[in-house]
Amino acid sequence: MTAKQKAAIAPSANGNGDSNGNGNGNGDTKELVGAVLVCGGGIAGIQASLDLSAAGFRVYLVEESPSIGGNMARLDKTFPTGDCATCIISPKLVECVRDYNIDVLTMADVTALDGEAGHFSVKVRKRPRSVKSEKCTGCGDCWTVCPVRNTAESPPPFQPSEPLNESDAIKLRGILARHEGGLGSLMPVLQEIDQAYGYLPKRILEHLAYSWGVKIAEILRVASFYDRFRLEPVGRHVVEVCEGTSCHSRGSRELGERLEKELGIRPGETDKSGRFTLRTVRCLGLCALSPAMKIAGRSFARVNIDRVAEILEQFT
Amino acid sequence: MSAPIRNSSDLDRAQAAGEATRHPQRLKVLVGSASCGVAVGAREIESAASSTVQELGLDAVVCRTGCIGFCGREPMLDLVLPGGLRISYGNMTPEKARQLIAGYAKSGDLQPAWALGHFHNEELVSTGEVRTYSEQSVGLKGIPRWSALDFESRQKKVILRNCGLIDPNSLNETIACGTYRGAFRALVQMEPDAVIDAVAESGLRGRGGAAFPTGQKWRLARQAAADRKYVVCNADEGEPGAYMDRTVLESDPHAVLEGMLIGAYAIGATEGFIYVRNEYPLAIEILENAIDEAEKHGLLGENIFGTPWSFHVTVRRGAGAYICGEETALIESLEGHAGEPRNRPPYPVTAGLWGKPTVVNNVKTWASVAPIITRGAAWYAKMGTKRTPGTTIFSLEGCVKNAGLVEVPFGITLRELIYDIGGGIVGDRPLKGLQAGGASRGCIPPSLLDLAIDTEDRDGETIMIGTGGIIALDDRACMVDMARFLVGFFLEESCGKCVPCREGSKQMSHLLGRISEGQGTPADLSLLERLAKTVRSAAFCGMGSMGSNALLTTLTHFREEFETHIRDKKCPAGVCRIGRGR
Ligand SMILES: Cc1cc2nc3c(=O)[nH]c(=O)nc-3n(C[C@H](O)[C@H](O)[C@H](O)COP(=O)(O)O)c2cc1C
Ligand code: FES
Repeated sequence: MTAKQKAAIAPSANGNGDSNGNGNGNGDTKELVGAVLVCGGGIAGIQASLDLSAAGFRVYLVEESPSIGGNMARLDKTFPTGDCATCIISPKLVECVRDYNIDVLTMADVTALDGEAGHFSVKVRKRPRSVKSEKCTGCGDCWTVCPVRNTAESPPPFQPSEPLNESDAIKLRGILARHEGGLGSLMPVLQEIDQAYGYLPKRILEHLAYSWGVKIAEILRVASFYDRFRLEPVGRHVVEVCEGTSCHSRGSRELGERLEKELGIRPGETDKSGRFTLRTVRCLGLCALSPAMKIAGRSFARVNIDRVAEILEQFT
Repeated sequence: MSAPIRNSSDLDRAQAAGEATRHPQRLKVLVGSASCGVAVGAREIESAASSTVQELGLDAVVCRTGCIGFCGREPMLDLVLPGGLRISYGNMTPEKARQLIAGYAKSGDLQPAWALGHFHNEELVSTGEVRTYSEQSVGLKGIPRWSALDFESRQKKVILRNCGLIDPNSLNETIACGTYRGAFRALVQMEPDAVIDAVAESGLRGRGGAAFPTGQKWRLARQAAADRKYVVCNADEGEPGAYMDRTVLESDPHAVLEGMLIGAYAIGATEGFIYVRNEYPLAIEILENAIDEAEKHGLLGENIFGTPWSFHVTVRRGAGAYICGEETALIESLEGHAGEPRNRPPYPVTAGLWGKPTVVNNVKTWASVAPIITRGAAWYAKMGTKRTPGTTIFSLEGCVKNAGLVEVPFGITLRELIYDIGGGIVGDRPLKGLQAGGASRGCIPPSLLDLAIDTEDRDGETIMIGTGGIIALDDRACMVDMARFLVGFFLEESCGKCVPCREGSKQMSHLLGRISEGQGTPADLSLLERLAKTVRSAAFCGMGSMGSNALLTTLTHFREEFETHIRDKKCPAGVCRIGRGR
């Protein structure tokens, strides 16, 4: 879980305007004492607040949404231990609200930040809640009589960003006709697209998602997981140099460096004329004949490094 | 459907047809055309042979075969004389091929100097039949028997039984070597439970790394109640340095298909998938052709052997992710997701592909099944060790003289593999260490050469060589460099999900880089050790512990070399570019 919250050391959180911050630091001393403002009430912000409070600081915990807890409160389990997320966070939520040293400001935004470390002044704007929070017991009765209704907003159905041209459409239709729809055939379909274009063009993936009615994110997740799929165009010939154990022990590093020198590119790059793309792979299965490489699907084994230029010349 | 094969006389007919092409009444030129051969020029040799035959107007055929295992001698070419005697030649060139064929046609000259050996007999493992061929032909002098070669004499071929003996694209030729007899017996004459009993009794264990008893796996899947079940062949050979699965698929695809057919019948599956690495295009092509052929002849598809039984097989390609070799990640990938491992349990045998009971086995495991049915469990159990009966394949690579694939019974020692079969180290240099059994196993020193190979590590007795790649390193290899390389591999393959593996591997790699650049400090070694142990115990899945293991093993055995790098700022082997940048 990544923490985007940062604790801003702010000895004088002189809440002007709507903020109820009331710094107890002395603006003139250079000593770092006083109040601390924590932005974001997720698990990281909560923990930071609790620790700071325990260390004797006054804490203002500012959270944009109506309640603290953040993403973790929505999770079932946490990685990597598989522990129950709620069981970890709930005691901290309670503790945080009960702590006299912590002021929880929800539905609040930091609008301005001035000063320097030790002498910050922060402007916090609280949005109206239309409920007296000190009287609220959480019964939910206000909900039924509230004149304001929030309707759930669903995003518009996914649309590809551009229509396909004739030849792309024919290609995609041909590929889809050979497979049943659905995720089960996603890998073979992506492989066919890769074969047809040499990479996976975004516009084709969008139309694939559209015609199968699946999320584009789902397709991109798979496309980006596998080494073999590329989302950028490649050169006419892909040079794959083996970096497997056997080849490594028999000079694949020198082979790779020679290729880099001959082609003037680094692994993962395509040369300016679009002739070659250089990649590294882990084992081509030619381990008894190392070092090995593959160019445009043709394998070369027991490669003599001094013949690299000559071999490359065969591919125009 | 062309001439479906429904009974044993149909099999006999196919066998006769296959025998006729295997041993024609005229000269046959065989070109080893698996990937390793093709990579060093087999296609050029084939066209040279064809054009020579044509130009000279010879009564001869030029055919392709798979890999016989002696990859270090590729490109290979064989002559099969009209009587059936076969002579193998290594390190061929188109020019040599022309000379050989022309010379033989003119005067019967067999060029003993180029020959590796001749086959005076051949054992058809599936049936147990041994055929001998007359050695009375002229000019054999100076050509040893193939079976007497150091490389061959200790081997015991079960999985590789037909590799290099048949044309992988010919169904008849594989049937001529006994393939599909086991499937016929299982489907027509045996109950599914009897098939599982036989596999269990044979003691066959998975060859994919974990060595789980195959019979037990099948029984669990059979007992799981479901409307559909699947069998999957794991051919995602991601371990760098291992290529035996590729060879089996390219040389004898029907051995795998037959095994899957038997397994599917035993557990009650009607659909199968073969998940092949993307880097193996030739294997995919040959496999697809084999499935086509088998379907045409009623050996796959509906009503196999005229029984109500049906079984369909689909080939799926991977897309370059090491983790997809792990069975649950493989299943995720088949379902069209990113290949991330699932939590277990439930195990695939109860809830696998699309939540249905699924048996995932390695290529070698599937290919071992049919001979167990035809020759009996007792025959199989006699080979190998008590804990792990049977044979397995190793690939000898790096600095050994006889590089290639060898199949041997479990219990053989590393020394026999490297020095007897492998013929020792090139240039008779000293052996410094081995990177054996997969990247996660690190590098081991020559002092462990006399341990027997098994599926378990026992100090002083046995050693596990999980995936069978054995890379011999001579004194020109640097162990710091190897450790850096191995850790780098796992760093690259880490999915990034958990911090210990993602960041830990990066730090280990960074520290190793520092040492190999001569910037290491004495404290780095203990830091590395602590880091590796932490990563090993804290990582979410096996991947995290793999990189640490590789590092810890190498560091334990070759600590001195690490220290030299740090203390003297020197790489004894001259591999690390201390003071020379990168
Ligand atoms: C990280 C990882 C990678 C693996 N890679 C492979 C592989 O490339 N090929 C394979 O057959 N098994 C591989 N396995 C083992 C499989 O998960 C599984 O145990 C095997 O396919 C079962 O087949 P078997 O019973 O025939 O051995 C891998 C396991 C792990 C944890
Ligand atoms: S290690 Fe390079 S081909 Fe296998």
